[in-house]
Amino acid sequence: MKGKNKPFAFRGLYLLSFVVVVYGSVFFFNAQVAGLAIGKSWVVLRKILPILAFVVFFTTLLNFFLRPKKITAHLGKESGAKGWFWALVAGVLSHGPMYAWYPLIEDLRSHGMRDGLIVTFFASRTIKVPLLPMMVDYFGLTFTIVLSFYILIGSVLQGLLLEITER
Amino acid sequence: MGIDKKQKKQPAPRPAFSQVLRKSSLSFLAMAPLLLGVIGLVGLFQVLVTPKMLASLFQGNPFLDTLIGTLSGAAAAGNPIVSYLIGGELLDQGISLYAVTAFLLSWVTLGFIQLPAEVAVFGGTFTLYRNILSFVFTMLIAVLTALTMQVLS
Repeated sequence: MKGKNKPFAFRGLYLLSFVVVVYGSVFFFNAQVAGLAIGKSWVVLRKILPILAFVVFFTTLLNFFLRPKKITAHLGKESGAKGWFWALVAGVLSHGPMYAWYPLIEDLRSHGMRDGLIVTFFASRTIKVPLLPMMVDYFGLTFTIVLSFYILIGSVLQGLLLEITER
Repeated sequence: MGIDKKQKKQPAPRPAFSQVLRKSSLSFLAMAPLLLGVIGLVGLFQVLVTPKMLASLFQGNPFLDTLIGTLSGAAAAGNPIVSYLIGGELLDQGISLYAVTAFLLSWVTLGFIQLPAEVAVFGGTFTLYRNILSFVFTMLIAVLTALTMQVLS
């Protein structure tokens, strides 16, 4: 299995260093903006911490109860319509920012999840179930239904097109 | 020989839950600098790119505004609720539904800020294809939604 026994190593240290340098520069020119940005980042981090904890726990449950072969059967090359269905459902139900789900999706990918399903998962995340009432309030019920319908179809099409491109 | 074959077919014993939890936690911990970097950028963008700035970008031309909606949604960061608030304001200001729909869609599916993390996790080719597809489909869905709304109304 790809990446099963990878030695521990931090990832994204260059990105984090770059961000620290950017903050340092902003602080030098306008300390108030840098302070505000740190405050906003802290709010974002606090908001997504429960999601990240859920992602770690869910990844553990998947790895504990589902054998790689099972994951491949549900999300791999032979998954068929079932795979598209689960990718759509998971995308629609997933909460929080996209990057919070990277660890789980990367893990599933290392167990054989198709790239097309990953694209479908990310695309269908545009439908936010908890925010649907607010969308209806702002843009109307018809708009919400029409948009959600096109998002679902578009998400599957994007996944299919990616698989055609990767062939 | 027959016994050997049978033994080979037996699945490996299930690892302990604590072991699996430790492995998952470690792989998440390894990704922590990447996530912290993205969160840092999100905070900076939320301060530097204000909703007012985004709203001022729109020109009133439906086609150009759809493109601007897609790009500004991709440049913005934050909770999708904010995109609804800005989208509602834009509609009130007379900006086309094409542009507002594109803005709402790209806010969630496209993100310039998270690109470095996406490349690091999924690779450059996958990220490039996914973002191109997402960009094209954002425009397409925005146009189709607006057209369907016109027909229905």
